[in-house]
Amino acid sequence: MPDSDVLVVGAGPAGSVAAWEAKRAAPELDVVLLERDHAVGVPVRCAEGVGDAGLREFVDPDGAPWVARRITRIIFVAPDDTETRVADGTVAWILDRTRFDPFLAERARAAGVEVRVATEAAGMERDSDGRWRVRVRGPEGEELWRARVVIGADGVEAMVGRWAGLDTRVPARDMESCAQYVLQHVDFDPDAIYLQFGDRIAPGGYAWLFPKGVGIANVGLGIVALRADGRNAREYLDAWIARRYPGGTSVGSTVGGVIVNPTIKQTYCDGVLLAGDAAHMVNPLSGAGIVNAMKAGRLAGRTAAAALREQDTSAQRLSSYHRAWMELLGEEHRTHYRIKQALDDLDDAFFNGLARTVNGIPEGKRSLGRVFMHALVKHPQLIPVAARCFV
Amino acid sequence: MTPLFAPAKVARMAHSRVTELASVDLAVCDRCGLCLPLCPPEAIHLAFDRLLVDRDTCTGCRKCIAPCPVGALAMVPA
Repeated sequence: MPDSDVLVVGAGPAGSVAAWEAKRAAPELDVVLLERDHAVGVPVRCAEGVGDAGLREFVDPDGAPWVARRITRIIFVAPDDTETRVADGTVAWILDRTRFDPFLAERARAAGVEVRVATEAAGMERDSDGRWRVRVRGPEGEELWRARVVIGADGVEAMVGRWAGLDTRVPARDMESCAQYVLQHVDFDPDAIYLQFGDRIAPGGYAWLFPKGVGIANVGLGIVALRADGRNAREYLDAWIARRYPGGTSVGSTVGGVIVNPTIKQTYCDGVLLAGDAAHMVNPLSGAGIVNAMKAGRLAGRTAAAALREQDTSAQRLSSYHRAWMELLGEEHRTHYRIKQALDDLDDAFFNGLARTVNGIPEGKRSLGRVFMHALVKHPQLIPVAARCFV
Repeated sequence: MTPLFAPAKVARMAHSRVTELASVDLAVCDRCGLCLPLCPPEAIHLAFDRLLVDRDTCTGCRKCIAPCPVGALAMVPA
């Protein structure tokens, strides 16, 4: 039976960073990274947008081959199509996940991590000596792997958490059902991302256009099915595209779930850590998850390495991971979750009015603080939303 | 506080009265895995890149049906 010290399930941003960090922190450890798909990075289930500051904590995007587009503007589109520009300067990047994820996995491999593709974890149970026995199916058939620490970075499915007895289920109101096309021959500002809100456009979520180049973009949306009118996410998306980008041709499509639920109550147990989507670490307000996943992966990898050196991989020892995450972002996500709930109560007329208020502020003077103050004065409905930021 | 999810025991007891079960159309399913964490009794699995609904565990609660982004899940007689 093959042995490993750290077995990481899932080679997305959380898993590849976790494996890399564990190996860097303790090079004597055997670290194995499993990827179910035949290649790391495909299929893409992501809008591929990432904030500049967070990304730079891990990698340098300037001139990188895994970058698709630098973004300098955000254009909010109200339900009635009123456009509001808000930011200038490099604010975000659109990645090419088919190259970004392999880049991260290759970095782990170069550091000494064993990376196995086309290999899925199929179940696991505790051994009598406290290690995990993980059932692994790969090209050579099924084998049992022993691991001292298993890091579950297996995305929304979160099977590692389930096998370990952690509750990773999601209430329906906190699941964004998303659909996206890669759309060609569409007209937009290639330096801007577009976000449109509206109960008839994307109930409980928003629609987006993220440029991948001039005339080509990820165009998608997320909805909460409980708030929808019976159509599924792809039907909402088809309707939105027919209205806004009728000349676009699709050169790719994807669907997936974005969990907008705060971090699960417990992200660890004896010999197990969960990171990224598997532990509901997406920002519940924005739906952004890539940098969060890498930050969690870094914490998980380092915690696992330190715990193994101390020869203590008990739940109590690994709980420091959960505390560190909650302090870093988990608590903030709870606040964002409350803001999202408050915003859900506001209707299209409110957002149309808000867009006009913001457009009344000269573009160069649209600081977040000023937008916020103007909005509060002209739209008292926002006061309870603002209050939720502080409770 | 009301628990968000029915405990597994309750789910199994309820199962005896189930008349409809969730079923997946594999020709439509994109294997995105969104429905897995929505299933209270954890009856949905992705194995060998195929989505499976465990007929013995599904309670017919319908929670997975509407959220499917492509409408690949439907209720069928038990």
